[in-house]
Amino acid sequence: MNLKMVQRILGLMLGMFSLTMLPPIGVALAYHDGHWLPFVASFLIIAAVAALLWLPVRNERGDLRLRDGFLIVTAFWVFLGLAGATPLLFSDQPVLSFTDAVFEAVSGFTTTGATVIIGLDHLPISILYYRQQIQWFGGMGIIVLAVALLPVLGIGGMSLYKAETPGPVKDQKLTPRIAQTAKALWTVYVLLTAVCAGCYYLAGMSPFDAIAHSFSTLSTSGFSTHDASFAYFNSHAIDWIATVFMFVGGASFALHFTALRNHTLGVYWRDPEFVAYFKLVVALIVFATVYLIVTGVFPATLNALRHAAFQVVSLLTGTGYVTTGFAHWPGALPVLLMLITFVGGCAGSTTGGMKVMRWLLVFKLGVGELKRLVHPSAEIPVKIADRIIPMQVVTGVAGFFAIYLIVFGVLMLLLMIIGLDQVTAWSAMASALNNIGPALGEVAAHFQNIPDAAKWICIVAMITGRLEIFTLVLLLTPAFWRR
Amino acid sequence: MNLSMVQHILGLMLLIFSLTMLPPAAVSLAYQDGHFQPFLDAFLIVALLGALLWFPVRRARRDLRLRDGFLVVTLFWFTLGLAGATPFLVTDVPDMSFTDAVFEAVSGFTTTGSTVLVGLEGLPKSILYYRQQIQWLGGMGIIVLAVALLPILGIGGMSLYKAETPGPVKDDKLTPRIAQTAKALWAGYLLLTAVCAACYYLAGMGAFDAFAHAFTTLSTGGFSTYDDGLSHFGSAAVEYVAILFMLAGGTNFALHFLALRGRSMRGYLKDAEFRAYVGILAVLILVVSSSLYLTGRYGSIADAFRHGAFQVVSLQTSTGYVTAEFAAWPGALPALLMLATFIGGCAGSTGGGIKVMRWLLVFKQALVELRRLIHPRGEILVRLAKRPVPDRVINAVTAFFAIYLMLFGGLTLLLMALGLDQVSAWSAVATSLNNTGPALGSVASNFTGVPDSVKWTCALAMIIGRLELFTLIVLFTPDFWRG
Repeated sequence: MNLKMVQRILGLMLGMFSLTMLPPIGVALAYHDGHWLPFVASFLIIAAVAALLWLPVRNERGDLRLRDGFLIVTAFWVFLGLAGATPLLFSDQPVLSFTDAVFEAVSGFTTTGATVIIGLDHLPISILYYRQQIQWFGGMGIIVLAVALLPVLGIGGMSLYKAETPGPVKDQKLTPRIAQTAKALWTVYVLLTAVCAGCYYLAGMSPFDAIAHSFSTLSTSGFSTHDASFAYFNSHAIDWIATVFMFVGGASFALHFTALRNHTLGVYWRDPEFVAYFKLVVALIVFATVYLIVTGVFPATLNALRHAAFQVVSLLTGTGYVTTGFAHWPGALPVLLMLITFVGGCAGSTTGGMKVMRWLLVFKLGVGELKRLVHPSAEIPVKIADRIIPMQVVTGVAGFFAIYLIVFGVLMLLLMIIGLDQVTAWSAMASALNNIGPALGEVAAHFQNIPDAAKWICIVAMITGRLEIFTLVLLLTPAFWRR
Repeated sequence: MNLSMVQHILGLMLLIFSLTMLPPAAVSLAYQDGHFQPFLDAFLIVALLGALLWFPVRRARRDLRLRDGFLVVTLFWFTLGLAGATPFLVTDVPDMSFTDAVFEAVSGFTTTGSTVLVGLEGLPKSILYYRQQIQWLGGMGIIVLAVALLPILGIGGMSLYKAETPGPVKDDKLTPRIAQTAKALWAGYLLLTAVCAACYYLAGMGAFDAFAHAFTTLSTGGFSTYDDGLSHFGSAAVEYVAILFMLAGGTNFALHFLALRGRSMRGYLKDAEFRAYVGILAVLILVVSSSLYLTGRYGSIADAFRHGAFQVVSLQTSTGYVTAEFAAWPGALPALLMLATFIGGCAGSTGGGIKVMRWLLVFKQALVELRRLIHPRGEILVRLAKRPVPDRVINAVTAFFAIYLMLFGGLTLLLMALGLDQVSAWSAVATSLNNTGPALGSVASNFTGVPDSVKWTCALAMIIGRLELFTLIVLFTPDFWRG
C-alpha cells in the first residue's frame, strides 16, 4: 500500500480539477451574468487544498500496486464530488444547502443526472455551464475507468474478457498503459462531443444549449439547462439526434476508437456485446412503440416511435433525458423503463447499470443450464463469439450480481425506513445505483423533496454504482488493508 | 421419451388422487353438513379420468428415463391442480367460477395459500377440511420432489451437493430410489403433523381446527379455516406452536429423517444450510421486532417479539399465516417481509422461495470474488462444510437466480399491464412465485378483487415457482423433445 503515492496522485488530480473552474469564469464574463466570483474563489480553494496534499509528497516515485488502484479510483470520485460542490456552495443563485450542493456535484460527476434544483431556466449561465461541464468530465473519467482500469483491477468478471491487450495482464504497473489508453479514448470522446454539438446546433438549438447538451449526451448523464429537459425543444429532429448520440454513448468507446482508427464499421457487428445491445434496444423500442399506440398515448405512429425510441435509449444508457412524463405512461411502461436501467449499456461506455456483457454471460449460462438438464453428462462450456469464457469470469459475474442485488436491497430498505414510500424508494435507489437520473413517485422530476438523509444515501449509492460496487465494498473489507 | 409410461403414471396418480375425495366425504357425514354429494361426484369424475388415462397403457412397464421425470413432475402439478378444482366446481357452497376454483386448488397444491374465498367461517366443514387436505398432500408431493427428484434431475445447482447417496448418480432409473426415499420422508412428515396437531390441541384449539392447521403448518401452506387466520385464536401459545412447526416445515426433511433415525439433534447443527437458515431468521426477527417496539407499534417487548417472530417465520418459510396487518406495519417492514419470501426455506423442505442453500452459495461466491480482487493469483474456492463446491454448481445457481429475477420482473410487468398498481403487482408475483400466500396492496388479505387474467397469471406463477422454474422451462426447449 503506497499511501504517499496515492496522496500525490490525489493532489495532482485536485490540482487539475481546480483548473476546470476557469472555463466557467470565461462563460460568466462572456455572458455578463456577474457570477464569476464563486468560481474564482473555488479555483483558489481547491488549488490550495491540492497543493497542501501534493507538496509534502511531490518527490514520491514508487510504482502503484493493484490495490492502490482501488483506493485512488474511490478517492477520485469522493474527493472530486465534494470539491465539485464548492462553486455551488459559494453561489447565491441557486442557494443550496451543503447536502444539496454535494448531491448535485456527485450527481454530475457520476453522470447520474438527478437534480435537486428547480427553476433551471432562471439560473446564471455560468452555473448552468458548470453543471454540464462536470458531467462531461465525469464521462471522461468513466471511460478511463471502464476501459483501462476496471479490467486491470478485475472487477466483476470483466478482467479476462475485456482486457485491451490480448492475454492476461502480467505486470502490475498501472501508469503507462492507462495514460496511453486514456489519450486514445479522450480523442474519440472529444470528437463525438463536437459532432453532437454541431448536429444539435443545426437542428435548432442555440450555440450554448448545443454545447451544453452535447456535454451531457455523450457522457450519458442527463443534466439539462431547462427544467423540462428535452420537452423544452419540442422538436422531432433534436429528439432523434439525442437518441442517436445517447446510443453511441452507450457503446464501448474502445470500439469507437478501433472503428475510427481502422475506418470501418465492421468492428461493431463482430462484437457480441454490441450486437446484443443493439438487438435489445430495437426490441424494447418496438414493444414500447406498440404499447404507446395501442393505449392511445401517442396515436400517431411516427410520434409514438419518436418518444418510445428516445425514452428507451435514454433510460437504457442511463442518460435520463425526458421528452414527456414517462412516469405517467400507462400500465407496465414506467416500471419496464426503470427495470432496463439495471441492464445499462456496454462495458467500456459511460453508462451505468450492470452492463450488457454481464447479462449476456448470464443469459448464456441459463441456456447452458437448460441444455445440461437434457444432456447431463455433456461438457457444455459457456461461449461468446466462439471463445470459451473462463470459469473465473463466470464466477466473477455471479458474485457481482449477488453484491449488486444485496446493496440495492439494503439501501432501498434504508430509504423506506427514512420514510419514502415503496415506489419512490425502489426507483430512487435504482436511479442512483444505476446512475440514471429520473425515477418514479416523489422523485419523478427531481430529488428536491426528499429528506436530507435520503439524499445522502443516494449520494453514496451513486458513487457505489459508478465504481461498480466492488471497488467500494472492497475498501470495507479488513483483508484489503492488511500488509 | 417413454410417453406411454408417463401416461400410465399420470393415470395412476389421478386414481390415487380420487381416493383423497373420500375423507372429505366422511367429514361431511360426521359433521352432517349436507355436503356429501359433491365429494362423491368429484371422486367418481376424477377416478373415471384416471381410469381412462391408465387403462390403455396399463401394461407399460419400462423404466423412466431422466427426461421423463421432468414431464411427469410438471404434469403432476398441472393435472392435480385442475383435478383438485373439481369439488369446488361441483359444489354450490361456495359458488365458484372456473377461474376461482382452479386458483384455489392450485394455491392449495403448490402450498401457496393465497385464497379467493371470503367468509370461510360460514363454509361447510367438509369444504374447509378439503382445502387443508390439499395443502397437506401438496406438501407430501414437494418433499419427494425436493429431496428425491430435483437433485437427480439436477435442477438449479442442487444436484451434486444435495444428492442423498454419496457420489454422483450413475444410473438414471428413477423408480426404486424415489419410492424408498419417499416412504422414509413421509413417515417423518406424518409424525411431525401428528405432534403438531396435538400441540395445537393442547394450546386450546378444537380437535378439527388442530388437525386442519397442522396440515397447513407442516406443509408451510397457510390456508386457514378462518378469514383472520391464526389471529382468530388470539393466543400466544398457539402462535408459538405455529412458529416451531413452521420452522420445522422449512427445514430439510432429510435432516428430520436422519434425526429421527439416529435419535440425535446433532445433524441439524452440522448442516451449513440449516445454520444459515436459523441465522437469517434470527437476524430478521431481531430487526423486525425491534422496529415494531421502537416505532411504538407494540407497547411491550413481549408483544413486539411475538408478532415480529411469527410474521418473519411465517413469511420466510413461505407459510403465509398472518396474525397482524403486516401490510400496514410502518416503514420498511412490509417490503422487508415480502423480500424475505425470496429467501425461502431450506432445500428439501416444503418451503418455497429461492432456498437458503442457493443464497448461501451465492453469498460465499461474492466473498470469494472480493478476496480474489485482493489476491488475484491465489487459489480461492467456495467451500461448504470444508468441501469445495464444483464450478458447475455455482454456474447452475447463478443461472437460476438470473432466470428467477427475470421471471419476477416480466410477470410484474404483465400484472401491471393487466391493471394492477406497482405495489400490488410486485407483491402478488412475489407471493405466487415464492408460494407464500399473503401480499401487499390490493391483494394483502385475499385475491378476490383482481381480474381473472391476474388470477390465471398468478396460478401459473405458483406452479412455475413450485417446480423450481427449470423443470417447466426445459419442456419448452426443442432439444428436450429430440431423441
